[in-house]
Amino acid sequence: MQLADLIQLAVSAAAVAAMVGLAALATRGRGAPVLDEAAARRWLADEFPDARIGGLWIAADGLGAVARSGETALVLSRMGDGYVARAIAWDAAARAGVKDGRVALPLGDFAAPRAVLALGAWPPRDLAA
Amino acid sequence: MKFPTDPVTLATPFFILSVIAEIALARLGKLKARYETKDTATSLVMGLFSTLSGAPFAAISFAGAIWLYHHRLFTIPMTAAWAWVLVFFAEDLTYYVFHRLSHERRIWWAAHVNHHSSQHYNLSTALRQTWTGGVAGTWALWLPLSLLGFPPAMVAIEKGISLVYQYWIHTEAIRRMPRWFEAVFNTPSHHRVHHARNPRYLDRNYAGILIVWDRMFGTFQPELDEEACRYGLVHNLGTFNPLRVAFHEWVGIAADLIRSPRHALGWLFGPPGWSPDGSRDTSASLKAAWAARQKAVQAPAKHEAA
Repeated sequence: MQLADLIQLAVSAAAVAAMVGLAALATRGRGAPVLDEAAARRWLADEFPDARIGGLWIAADGLGAVARSGETALVLSRMGDGYVARAIAWDAAARAGVKDGRVALPLGDFAAPRAVLALGAWPPRDLAA
Repeated sequence: MKFPTDPVTLATPFFILSVIAEIALARLGKLKARYETKDTATSLVMGLFSTLSGAPFAAISFAGAIWLYHHRLFTIPMTAAWAWVLVFFAEDLTYYVFHRLSHERRIWWAAHVNHHSSQHYNLSTALRQTWTGGVAGTWALWLPLSLLGFPPAMVAIEKGISLVYQYWIHTEAIRRMPRWFEAVFNTPSHHRVHHARNPRYLDRNYAGILIVWDRMFGTFQPELDEEACRYGLVHNLGTFNPLRVAFHEWVGIAADLIRSPRHALGWLFGPPGWSPDGSRDTSASLKAAWAARQKAVQAPAKHEAA
């Protein structure tokens, strides 16, 4: 790599930093919409249009949800200013560990390794059965 | 100092200024654009390092093109206007083929998927480029142009022009171009459909510059006012980590190959989402399920009307 290439790389990196900084300033205070039951059901209907929701558990901070559909747990977790959805086995979701009121659900996906949701006591008594 | 002839290099200051302008004007409410800090950072880091990761393969590709040009079938002069018209169409058709393969075969999707991995659609998304395109080998699709007799530099410049053209269409700020323009060229509206994850919009509008290829080969889908585009992947990423963004589909392929090596051909060359037992979703199965739901919704309505 020549000096000119290094200078070009350094200038490009500085430009990237400037653009990211501007994006941070321009979007300050904006986050993912907080989920209530209706919003969570809308997201779930978009992501899993054929699923029958048997129960729904919304995170205490509204930034995620878990729904049960048969033996499947449908997980919504915050990603930037939106949400990411994954379906995992209900058993695996029910076994997820709780630490400081947050449940780390293993999503088993390199592209979405886990969802950490403020679900408090887990598994919820009414959904665990 | 040598003046650069690579259109992408020449356009880079415009890329930076236009992203800044789009962010600022959106903030001021002057145009429609949705940015998110980490998403923007991921897109720009992907773009920055794609130029580095692509360099070794660009050299191999160019060497291959020069070798083939030495064995060319015709001699096409770089100085003739007709030759530039010809290379424009030839390159754009090659791009269509490349882009379609990149969506419809998993091994090439693995290299291209990161470009579609943002849930946002703005000018920074255009810069979310592959790190593994060289490994995937799709650059070989352009080699026949040199064998035909187009000088390799001419092909490289035309590829750059196409890439620069495709930058400005990554925006929600422009709703529709004039009708004649929408009919012939790839536009923000057509390309929003291409980046959408709605089943109706999946695997449509592969065009580079001319949308006419999609119209000719049956892959065209207009953007519909009644169905807003939802951007990203069928299974959106749960991470902004550029390494996971760049390599997640390759990791998925490796895991499938280890689990079931006898289905290697399907894992590699089947459509994204292919599995031996059909338990995963492909574009075709998602479209079929969507069509069935539409039919089910419409059937009672028709019955009531009758």
